[in-house]
Amino acid sequence: MSSVLEARAIGMTFRNGDAFTEVLRNVDVTLEPGELVALLGASGSGKSTFLSIAGLLLRPTTGTITIAGQRVDQLSDAERAEFRNARLGFIFQFHHLLPDFTATENVAFPAAAPAGGITPAMRQRARELLARVGLSDRLDFRVTRLSGGQKQRVAIARALMNKPELIFADEPTGSLDRVAAQQVLDLMREVNREDKATFLICTHDEQVAARCTRRITLKDGQVEGASEEQPVAT
Amino acid sequence: MFALTVARRYLFSNPAQTALLISGVALGVTAFVFITALIEGLAIRLTDDVTANSSHISLEPETRVARVLPSPDAELASVAIVSTFQRRQIRAWEPAVALLRSQPSVSAISPQISGSAFLVKGEAVAPVAVTAIDPAFLDAIAPISTEITSGNSNLGADGILIGVGLAENLGLSSGQPVLFRTDRGIDRLLTVRGVFRTGLQALDEKVAYLSLQTARPLFALPEGLTNIEVKLEEPGRAREIAAFLHEATGLRATPWQEKNANLEGALTAQARTGTLIQVFSLISVLVGIASALSLSANRRRGEIGIMRAFGVSSAFIAAVFVLQGLMIGMVGAAIGCVSGFALCSWLATLTDADGIMILPVARFEGGYVAVFLLTTLGAVLASVIPARSAARLDPLEAIQQ
Repeated sequence: MSSVLEARAIGMTFRNGDAFTEVLRNVDVTLEPGELVALLGASGSGKSTFLSIAGLLLRPTTGTITIAGQRVDQLSDAERAEFRNARLGFIFQFHHLLPDFTATENVAFPAAAPAGGITPAMRQRARELLARVGLSDRLDFRVTRLSGGQKQRVAIARALMNKPELIFADEPTGSLDRVAAQQVLDLMREVNREDKATFLICTHDEQVAARCTRRITLKDGQVEGASEEQPVAT
Repeated sequence: MFALTVARRYLFSNPAQTALLISGVALGVTAFVFITALIEGLAIRLTDDVTANSSHISLEPETRVARVLPSPDAELASVAIVSTFQRRQIRAWEPAVALLRSQPSVSAISPQISGSAFLVKGEAVAPVAVTAIDPAFLDAIAPISTEITSGNSNLGADGILIGVGLAENLGLSSGQPVLFRTDRGIDRLLTVRGVFRTGLQALDEKVAYLSLQTARPLFALPEGLTNIEVKLEEPGRAREIAAFLHEATGLRATPWQEKNANLEGALTAQARTGTLIQVFSLISVLVGIASALSLSANRRRGEIGIMRAFGVSSAFIAAVFVLQGLMIGMVGAAIGCVSGFALCSWLATLTDADGIMILPVARFEGGYVAVFLLTTLGAVLASVIPARSAARLDPLEAIQQ
């Protein structure tokens, strides 16, 4: 079985006027199907930049990206958007849900926008996903009425809507209290285990990393160390 | 269409702000409608005032000019002399009248003999502009029979109608005889059948009406006419119809605008002023829409960023904002048209002591279709700027903010 993600020799240099800042240097990362990988590093280590590049939100200065056997770094913007929609999922520190829509509509959104509307099948799947993240009693609530933890769970359900092969999470518990953070981590582990969805979780929280199956650490834009399979803390 | 659903939700997410925005558009459209109706009403009133007692098109024979004849001898030039003995006339006027009668745009026709003469009463002599008409169509161009202050409008074989100013100058009243002397010295005794008062000095002091039958021997025109006066259903089309009549009859056709160049200039200036006000109304409406949607796009950067991250297309994001502009434009324009019509209808009821409208608004001429289409189209165009900026938003930048 091919790797879900193969990032080879990724380099990223930002230009600000005459100044150049090299954020990533020769980064190689490979994720296998079903992995739950923590991408660790101090602030400014380049982990969020790598996540954005691997998630096709940013073009690298150098290197190649292959997702599920397909070279994707050379795709056009429109093709990248299409690829993200169909094959990738995203969970961010701030959920950015659509406040004028219900929880069900928010979850169905990634499928509904390209299709031109929410079909009954989409609605059904969105409801199932919400039930799975423990929000079956909040299906038709406006998301503004939900707590922070509930909103992040809606965001996780939204990331799963199009059955992505690879889910990127950038500090998914960063804005939550400890209890809510624990629930969100449990949920991601459950999805990883049951759906065999591959996760790359960008975090600087050791406790989050301890719940992952593997960890990759970035330091000064380079991979400092990559662990073998690690025992998962409960 | 899902973009429409999203656009609608965005608009309803802040009803007060949306209501305010739509009110602004409606207000601008109301102003547009009012100005258009007022400008149109003023033009109609001025045109009516000017043409109420005159024709919209005059048909006359082409002007006679002396012309140089071709000669084999370059030293000598021969000139065809124009005879001034015979009056200029329209000999074959029946076909022209028949053509005019067949035109639905023509509301009245008056075949006439016009000329100059003098009225002599004792020692008093007054020049008059003679209008000889078919008595059955006395009122075709100017309402004379209703303006008779003494006597009646029955011209008969030797009757004459004169204005009140002329009657006072000559000391005449209805039933009295007066000597009529043409510009070529032919005299005839006529009887003043009636005296009219139109309120227009030019008519009341200078014009006398005869029957065609009476005028023919006096002006040596046993069959022809000097002119045919025409009234139109739509005076504004006088130029176009005059051109057609000239083409069809070969006669000189003069539209009323050419005889009233100053008025036309004033109407044009008035229309230009109105257009400027209309343009500024529309611009203010469109700037309002563009700025409100730009603010909305800015406020929703995070949401737009996450949509883009999820692979929602730029076209979808742009469509959400363009559709908001479309809905705001359509609803605002519709409300503005209704309120503009209501305002004009109310203003039309305000009259002075003589029953004349204080503001001469033409409430059905508010340019409703034009302003609806312009506002809707303009609103769509105004929303393109925020739509493009939203669609081009870098998802990463938006999410990180």
